[in-house]
Amino acid sequence: MIGRSADWLSALAAGALLAVMIACNGMLAKHSAPMFASWVAHGTGAAMALLLVAGWSRIFGHPEAASQQKGPAWAYLGGVPGALTVVLAAVTTNGPLALSGTIAFMLVGQVFFGMAVDRTGLFGMARRRLTGADLRAAGLVLAGSILLVAGGR
Amino acid sequence: MAGHILLAVFNGLLIGLSRSLNGRLGMAVGPMRASWWNHLVGFAFLSAALAVTGGWQLHSAVEAPPTAWLGGLFGALFVAANSLVMPRLGTLRTAVLVICGQMVTGLAVDWLAAGKTPGWTQFAGITLILLGTFSARRAGHRNGK
Repeated sequence: MIGRSADWLSALAAGALLAVMIACNGMLAKHSAPMFASWVAHGTGAAMALLLVAGWSRIFGHPEAASQQKGPAWAYLGGVPGALTVVLAAVTTNGPLALSGTIAFMLVGQVFFGMAVDRTGLFGMARRRLTGADLRAAGLVLAGSILLVAGGR
Repeated sequence: MAGHILLAVFNGLLIGLSRSLNGRLGMAVGPMRASWWNHLVGFAFLSAALAVTGGWQLHSAVEAPPTAWLGGLFGALFVAANSLVMPRLGTLRTAVLVICGQMVTGLAVDWLAAGKTPGWTQFAGITLILLGTFSARRAGHRNGK
């Protein structure tokens, strides 16, 4: 496994942010419905992201990306599968898998997806060889997560 | 059951797809702008879905505690951070590290905020997750980065 420590810590911190986001939004979903709660989170998230963009250029005096290319049109559609996720998760959590099973199999899907993208270099990402250390880490983290959700998360 | 398993795995692929598209957009316009587009497009998509299904629940939602409304704040930061590191670390490694941070924090939130004391299975799970992450980091150092 290679990569700078700052990137590793940022990725771990991103996961922490995600967990807090899910905890907050789960509370809202309990008082309403998953799709409505996700709609609220996307709306407030858009406002927050706009503040981040504006704050960055205000504080640092220049936009965050030096090369202001537009990028391919398909790259703008990340919000669609992200929003669909909420709908599908609502279906499976209400079925025999319940919440823990849903989380576990969604993690499996994420790991498969990561392997496929690294191998093929899809979506403009660099093609990477999967090392033994990468696969061992993925296996251990996945196994630990499944234990965690099986134990009542 | 098998159908639900497939659906949940497919859902995981959708999460990966969403993060990859955001990561690619972040390479072009910057991770914070990528987060803005992600939330804007998702908001438009869900607005249309709610308009079709009629699932507006504002009346009951106003009774939720204030923290329940803060999800988007953390979500926007999450998408920006994830889009920043994904092109650098690779898709699998980013996914694995995010899962690690998410699981450990999720357990801590359940424990400290919701008062759910974790059991032995959960401590075993956390141990495996941390072992996986840090053994990989050490392997990276040994191989000269």
